[in-house]
Amino acid sequence: MKKNELARKLVTSIIETDVTEDAVRKFIKKAKEYPFRAIAVDLPYLEITKELLQGTDTRVSAVASYPLGGMTTETKISQVEYAIDKKADEVDVSMNYNAIKSGDFATVLDDVKRVAEAAGDRIEVIMIPQTHILTIEEKIKVYSAILEGGVKAVKINSGFGWNTKPEDVILIKREFGNKFLRIDVSGGVRTTEQALEFLKLGADYIHTSTPDQVLEKAE
Amino acid sequence: MMKITKQQFAGTIDHTLLKINTTYGDIKRVCLEAEKYHFASVAINPINILLAAKMLKETGVKVCAALAFYLGVYPPELKEFEVRDAVKKGAEELDMLMNVGALKEGRYDIIRKEIEGLVRAAEGRITKVILETCLLTDEEIVKACEIAKECGADFVKTSTGFKKPGATLHNVRLMRETVGKDMGVKAAGGIHTTEEALAMIEAGANRLGVSAGVAIVEGFK
Repeated sequence: MKKNELARKLVTSIIETDVTEDAVRKFIKKAKEYPFRAIAVDLPYLEITKELLQGTDTRVSAVASYPLGGMTTETKISQVEYAIDKKADEVDVSMNYNAIKSGDFATVLDDVKRVAEAAGDRIEVIMIPQTHILTIEEKIKVYSAILEGGVKAVKINSGFGWNTKPEDVILIKREFGNKFLRIDVSGGVRTTEQALEFLKLGADYIHTSTPDQVLEKAE
Repeated sequence: MMKITKQQFAGTIDHTLLKINTTYGDIKRVCLEAEKYHFASVAINPINILLAAKMLKETGVKVCAALAFYLGVYPPELKEFEVRDAVKKGAEELDMLMNVGALKEGRYDIIRKEIEGLVRAAEGRITKVILETCLLTDEEIVKACEIAKECGADFVKTSTGFKKPGATLHNVRLMRETVGKDMGVKAAGGIHTTEEALAMIEAGANRLGVSAGVAIVEGFK
């Protein structure tokens, strides 16, 4: 795969506790060398990211309740609304992992539904099931709740140490066929080979904070 | 060695459970432990406030919410929204992580705005501003403490517990020196033993964020 072709399948990000506006600006200027699918930034930096990416096809990506998923549905919706207001194209939403681990799928579903309804078609909502911490049974229930809640895009894990395995993509394809319109892989993808393997298995996009490394061995 | 009773020691503890795989059963357990040992509060993620508030009703143990966790990079108005939401659901203490990057960039207007929003939305409830000291220089720690004090927060707090190292004796001393004796200092992150906990109090902390609260108090002689 050519470098630019692979770059179109990559989402890169600059999300950290001590990120500065200056660092965001520099990151985006450099990232513009490639036609990345999207760049994810913290909410305060959506506006400058949108501005800096003008004239490119790279989308602006926001995050909500990220990556811990400890925030309430109301707070998540406030963040999604903010992202819409700042003209972000997509938003990665962490789910209620404590409800999942408690077997409370009614709460999980309610959370997905309310976020999806609040977003409408104004922004693409991508749910993060965080399979790194889930059993197979939990994974299947979570994916079902996401679909039932009206969301058809998933980012399998958040990264930050919560990583995705090839089996995760295989499981989605086996259990849900093509019901998900978009499958993003995040967490632990460091090399061109890994990225290509995930794409071959049916992933649509790969998230990486080190795109140079992932693009290194593309033609 | 300072004079402190076991009861007073227990009263410094925010019994903390913020793990991503926490279950409702875990929340119930820490609430029962907090009641039994008379801890100051149970510190939890906002998704668990309703359950903890129900469990802790009339126990004297407060519900403490961890806000803007754990990255802290949100616009001030959204941070304030989260504080209001937490208060509405029953949180009585509000621990909010500051925007560390804004502090580092000298954007004190942003830091001021978010802490003012926290204090305003808390409506008199206890507020704690988390610095994430492991990412800061001494000068930045001092500046953050000064702003938090000026804006009327009740505590400055070292860490979220998600970044290493958490609280250090040096940083706790520096924070206590900076805010004086009338403001609270909470040491959190990496405190696992009775000895470590007592050393933090000796260094100037009057509140401790720990997940091993039961063992720490049991170890008190």
